[in-house]
Amino acid sequence: MAAITEPIPATADQYNDDILRVLAPPSPLYVITVLLLAGMVGAGVAALAYQTYWGMGVAGLQNPVFWGVYITTFVFWVGIAHAGTLISAILFLFRAKWRNAINRGAEAMTVFAVMTAALFPLIHIGRIWKFYFMIPYPNQRGLWTNFKSPLEWDVFAVNTYATISILFFFVGLIPDLAAARDRVSDWRRYLYGALALGWRGTAEQWRAHSRAVLHLSGLATPLVLSVHSVVSWDFAMSVVPGWHTTIFAPYFVAGAIFSGMAMVVTVMVPVRKAFGLEGYIRMEHFDNMGKFIVLTSTIVGYAYAVEYFMAWYSANPYEQMSFWHRAFGDYWWATWIMISCNVVVPLPLWIKKVRLNIPFFWVLTIFINIGMWFERYVIITTGLSHEYSPAAWGYYTPSWVELTILAASFGFFLMFFLIFLRMFPIIAIQEVKELHYEGHHEGGAH
Amino acid sequence: MASVLGVLTDPHATASAIRKLRGAGFTDLDSYSPIPSHEIEEAMDRGPSRVRTWTLIGCLVGVTLGFLMTIWMSYDYPIIVGGKPYASIPPYTVIGFELNILFGGVLTVLGLMFHGMFLNRVDSGAYRPNFSGDQFGCVVNCGANDVERVEKLLRESGCTEVRVVEGA
Repeated sequence: MAAITEPIPATADQYNDDILRVLAPPSPLYVITVLLLAGMVGAGVAALAYQTYWGMGVAGLQNPVFWGVYITTFVFWVGIAHAGTLISAILFLFRAKWRNAINRGAEAMTVFAVMTAALFPLIHIGRIWKFYFMIPYPNQRGLWTNFKSPLEWDVFAVNTYATISILFFFVGLIPDLAAARDRVSDWRRYLYGALALGWRGTAEQWRAHSRAVLHLSGLATPLVLSVHSVVSWDFAMSVVPGWHTTIFAPYFVAGAIFSGMAMVVTVMVPVRKAFGLEGYIRMEHFDNMGKFIVLTSTIVGYAYAVEYFMAWYSANPYEQMSFWHRAFGDYWWATWIMISCNVVVPLPLWIKKVRLNIPFFWVLTIFINIGMWFERYVIITTGLSHEYSPAAWGYYTPSWVELTILAASFGFFLMFFLIFLRMFPIIAIQEVKELHYEGHHEGGAH
Repeated sequence: MASVLGVLTDPHATASAIRKLRGAGFTDLDSYSPIPSHEIEEAMDRGPSRVRTWTLIGCLVGVTLGFLMTIWMSYDYPIIVGGKPYASIPPYTVIGFELNILFGGVLTVLGLMFHGMFLNRVDSGAYRPNFSGDQFGCVVNCGANDVERVEKLLRESGCTEVRVVEGA
């Protein structure tokens, strides 16, 4: 596929041509990639079937560590989801126009990341068919769920987040689906036509649409802050040393935006190159995302320091033991991967030249993703493996079943993302076109 | 009754045409636009969308339901957890908050579908695919005697094409 020759489209109609061109029939490389990812998902399904048949013993979860890779990966994917909402809702409310070119891709990531995350509590409970026990429903035993439990809060938070993310994503997509309907002539015309819900861009439709987007942004902004706060309370509400701390909610929210923004860069760099979208996803986007990563990395680094400071300052021997163990005990290697990747690796991004060096920036974001997965792994395993009684200490090693399902989660996420790329406009056409008419482009092209 | 369509190429000219037509007494207007434009919205002068009422109702229903559900269920299955009262308000705030957002969001989208799609489901027949590309449309419903005047006003406003819509 040829790259866009002009850095900035010259006419409003060229936006439709450029962006909808991505919907052309897929190349063999694309098909092979999707099949490979589907193969990864298949391996994960096989591992899950094996675990379901033989029971949770085939996972590495043993006394005293009963939360391991599954909960780590759940928190990781919920975190990844946060950048999409930040870009689409929070930056919308702040009128940060640069978001327009990347918000669709980030919102799609949010939806697929939440879908991936939602699988993990189900995988973790072992008896997947009992998942509905988490939902309050009238039953003959007269039981209701325990609403005082953070785990039950999580059920409500994650389901609300998934629903609102999908709705927000869909509402933003409606005008672009109509644009796609008006361009294609094959069977997809009916698909886009049905999904566009009769959109014609009338004054009344835009009036309702603008109001709906504004309200959904207003609702999604506190929601995104609440979701990772609630996820952090899964830990902080307990009395496990290393978990029971009030800094967890802001620390987790900053970490989520940090990892999510890094994932946006990790995913969008190859997409931009493969589909020739350099005229849309421009250097200013990388510059701004780099600044976000630097900011959130600094908050995360500060949170790490505060945790250690509080452990020392509290004079609580259990807390001090937990953090000593975290840095120099059995899991020292995981802790130092976490600190290196999340605090040290992003430091070069303070320099603008580095933020604009896309290959280098892209490599950094992969390390950040690794670091953020390890952050959750460190919190969970070090906390549970060394609680109060030395007699109950232990060491957790993930089994091949858990690692296969972890790998499959990446396949699952990327497979859906790639399918989305070919089916729907990856850039919000109406929003970048809005900039065209407002003359907000670099260099005042219009 | 007739409908006249004027085709324009940018939102400023469209808003200006709408203002001119409204000034001339033609208030039964509609427009097509590939982008959301505050200028066109202001020119139409229809006030804020009713979608906001849907959001408000959704949020109020959600937060009320969140607290009522948790409190009622706690007394329907009374069990003391962590030494707290059966119905303990601080933890239930989380459920109340989440349902507030959930219902508010869902009703916002239903409001969009009702006001934007359902009440707007019949097209005057003037829509053309370029209205999702780079063209803007201004449709004026007027009496048969006013068609010429409307056409003149639209041409003066910079329309690249003006025509009477068939079957309107």
